[in-house]
Amino acid sequence: MSTEAALRDRCRALLQSGEVALVVGYRAARTGGNCTPAFVTGPDQAELLVLDKTCHHNLAAYLPGLRHKGRVAVVSTGPTSRSIVNLLKENQFDRKDLHIIGVPDPSSAPASNVRNAVLFDEFIGDKADEPAPAPDQDLAAFEAKTPAERWEILFADLSNCIRCYACRQVCPNCYCPTCFVDASRPQRVGRTPDRSDTIMFHVMRAMHMAGRCVECGACARACPMGIDLMVINRKVAAIVRDRFGHVSGMSLDDPLPLTTFTPEDGQEFIE
Amino acid sequence: MDSASGSDIIAFLRRNRMAESDIPSEQVRPRTAAAPFDPRIVAFLCNWCSYAGADLAGISRIQYPPSVRVIRVPCSGRVDPFHILKALQEGADGVLVSGCHPGDCHYLTGNYVARRRFAVLHDLLDFFGIEPGRVTFSWVSAAEGERFAELVRHTTERVRALGPMSRLARNATARVVQ
Repeated sequence: MSTEAALRDRCRALLQSGEVALVVGYRAARTGGNCTPAFVTGPDQAELLVLDKTCHHNLAAYLPGLRHKGRVAVVSTGPTSRSIVNLLKENQFDRKDLHIIGVPDPSSAPASNVRNAVLFDEFIGDKADEPAPAPDQDLAAFEAKTPAERWEILFADLSNCIRCYACRQVCPNCYCPTCFVDASRPQRVGRTPDRSDTIMFHVMRAMHMAGRCVECGACARACPMGIDLMVINRKVAAIVRDRFGHVSGMSLDDPLPLTTFTPEDGQEFIE
Repeated sequence: MDSASGSDIIAFLRRNRMAESDIPSEQVRPRTAAAPFDPRIVAFLCNWCSYAGADLAGISRIQYPPSVRVIRVPCSGRVDPFHILKALQEGADGVLVSGCHPGDCHYLTGNYVARRRFAVLHDLLDFFGIEPGRVTFSWVSAAEGERFAELVRHTTERVRALGPMSRLARNATARVVQ
């Protein structure tokens, strides 16, 4: 039986027995192209669920909105499960209300180098081969440029930003009731076409991703202007990995790196 | 300004756009091509140590450049990276953040947590190509008046060498990039 068929059968059984009230998974897009999220509430709808190479979405992004709505099953690839780990650590969802169906990442172009679910109640399908950790060549090449060159490249790219905040909307990390860009008392980021406001948004977005981003690539895929947000996200992840030895969303036991400290943390940058 | 909430800090930064008129005229020369550049630096100082260190520098009559504008905060852990960036956007050429030495925090661990946050910000600013020399982090105790004066001298000279803030400053980025 294919993984997809096994997934449908299992979700049908879960809904039939009443173990879960809702399954969050993937369904074929009506217009073709990438799969869209499916919210399946009845056993007869389980046929809608698909699992193919266009399943890119990070489904953890829907969890904060599904709190206290009964037990939820989530079809979790590697990136989705890592985001779930972070949401659980940040107390954004009750583990009791969550049934995690781990699947191997079927995406044809995974942005993350973790393909299998890291936290699951059951795993459906055969585990995919995890790619060997490799040095980030693109990031190293970018970092080898001078600061002025880096600024020119990032500034030119980020200048295309129309501040639609699609990157925020798809991000499982962005669940604040009032985002700092929407705050008006005080207003934090100006709502002007001035590019300094755009740069402020992106630097602060990067700061908020520190130790939390799982590099699923949802923001970059959602960006209508094609901005390379992943270069920033990968850098933030690299900073946290190099400085604090923390890889985001891999374990429920590590504390979030910016909420903790050790007295031995490096302080070579402090005078 | 008194030790403050976040909205107070942002309102302060916006109200005091570090205008020329903000500084006593005998202390500052107008920004013209001919005159040397006088940097404007916003200093976030911890109430319990660095603020008292700055006070000690003052009552000890230690001379240092009149380039810093002090914002007193309850702890270096209160300093949001956003406050630092906002100061640079609203007209500061440099930012100085100073708190208690590790182990001396009035709230026991505020400066340790702040140190991790500042480490990420430091690396991120470098990555963006925003000169990390514009943002200085330091530990200054209440007994280190001379150290505070030396820190201001040193920071002022370094920011002077970098020139006026352009990359994050409002309006300065409104040019066309080819």
